[in-house]
Amino acid sequence: MKRYILLALALLFLAVYLFPLYWMYLTAFKPSTETFVYPPTFWPGNPQFNFVDVFVSKKMSSYLWNSLVIAIGTTAIAAFFGTGCAYALARVRNIGMDIVLFLILMMQVLPSSLMATPIFVLFNQVGLITTPRLAVVLAQAAKVLPLFIVLTRTSFMQIPKELEEAARVDGATRLGAFLRIAVPLARNGILVTSVLIFLQSFGEYVYSRSMISEESLQTATVGLMNFMGPNTTDWNGIMTYSVIYVTPILLVFVLLQRKIVSGLTAGALK
Amino acid sequence: MSALFRTLRDGHGFDATLALLALAYLLVFSAFPLIYNILMSFQEVDMFSLASLVRPFVGLANYKSLFASPDFWPVIWNTVVFVGLCIIFQLGIGFGLALFFQQDFPGGSFLRGLFLAAWIMPALVAGAVWKWIFAGDFGVLNYLLQSAGLINDKVFWLSNPQISLYSVVIANIWLGIPFNMILLSVGLVGIPKDMYEAAALDGANAWQRFWHMTLPMMRSTIGAVVSLGIIFTLQQFDLFASLTQGGPANASNVAQYWSWQLSFQIYDIASGSAVSCLMLGFVIVVAVIYVRSTRHEHRA
Repeated sequence: MKRYILLALALLFLAVYLFPLYWMYLTAFKPSTETFVYPPTFWPGNPQFNFVDVFVSKKMSSYLWNSLVIAIGTTAIAAFFGTGCAYALARVRNIGMDIVLFLILMMQVLPSSLMATPIFVLFNQVGLITTPRLAVVLAQAAKVLPLFIVLTRTSFMQIPKELEEAARVDGATRLGAFLRIAVPLARNGILVTSVLIFLQSFGEYVYSRSMISEESLQTATVGLMNFMGPNTTDWNGIMTYSVIYVTPILLVFVLLQRKIVSGLTAGALK
Repeated sequence: MSALFRTLRDGHGFDATLALLALAYLLVFSAFPLIYNILMSFQEVDMFSLASLVRPFVGLANYKSLFASPDFWPVIWNTVVFVGLCIIFQLGIGFGLALFFQQDFPGGSFLRGLFLAAWIMPALVAGAVWKWIFAGDFGVLNYLLQSAGLINDKVFWLSNPQISLYSVVIANIWLGIPFNMILLSVGLVGIPKDMYEAAALDGANAWQRFWHMTLPMMRSTIGAVVSLGIIFTLQQFDLFASLTQGGPANASNVAQYWSWQLSFQIYDIASGSAVSCLMLGFVIVVAVIYVRSTRHEHRA
């Protein structure tokens, strides 16, 4: 009996906590007249489906495409540079590797909003600003690479060294043993971390806002900010935009939540 | 030459190469901008000298004008308030929820994981949703508080300079709770169960067990969570952009947002990089303390 009271309490806590998400979905389904009724309604009397309208009129396909390009590029760079480094840090313990790990941890904590100024000036000088999406990808990859390394390293640490040594006895090179033994065995950790990095970069804002001036190259976050403007009244449309943007992210999260949570906790405190 | 090639392919050179490739990327795109930033904070940088490689040095002039600015101390104080309040409430609520979900009931770990839904969504979207919740005339928060009898008049959460900073604090606490809760849960799992059983046999009540056992056992976890909390709270930018933009009249501005505003909206890049340098220095100090303390735990 006590266990079911606890379950009911847990559901209550979750409902209170996730109320803002409910409010977002609810507002998206309300017609605009009902949005500005006071006292507000907590269930749409006359649900509307403005999704196609908002998607087309706010040019969301272009914004979402740019966010997707940036998220894919960032994840690719982080996985390419991060996997090998995570492996090396998991396998070798010496003073040199300790220094590398320390430097990587230091670069994990630098806030994007503070790094935006020097990165913008530097990229401007070398001409990277003319390809703004690439500029954002390069900067964002540097932001997330340390996290990728820290989280993936724990998956490599769980693989017994003996498996690779056996492959080496059979004549495999280090590179061969790394690519054919270690990486496939750490596959789950690498994938979950990549999804996490991908989702984070899909919602990137600071660098996109600072470095992309051309509207056709801007991301979904910048598009949402443009939509909000200083004197917002179209809350209906803004929440519809938010729902279109966030729902795929939430779906991926719910599907993978068990793995994301365990990957996150394994890496964060070690 | 062939020896070098052999170590790269088969020896320690292989590990070193893999590690140094990533490190090189980070040095180019993180460490170099960091150092360049320090350099810029001693130079005259504006829209005209932006693209030139050689800029006049001005010594400490940027810092001096920064300290003399009437905005400087209020913004720093706001940053302290923002970080302090966020950490206290995120930790408190996160700890409470972690203790609650520590109990055994059906679906517990699944429901606990669902809290992270807030953490995974783009902070800018969370900001948009909260802006609508906070809205003065038609916002649901005012309605809920009024019907609960807690307030009489509508509160203008985002446009009242006395309140706007606290509104951002509320939204940021909401965003930070799940991460705190999950990390604290990991710490709680590490406390041996039989200790509690022994204490219960000795007649310790729930409060005594929490105060004399849970808290001391959680000391290192709480330390780690607080340092990570400071680091992540100082990264918060998107909520300020979407909720108040630092306003009204800098009432809710914090250093990390101010630095960006100076550089990208007022185009006073030298001042922006000076603020950025001060804050980056602070973040790095916190990070060094955090890394050293967790390393220490491992040796012990």
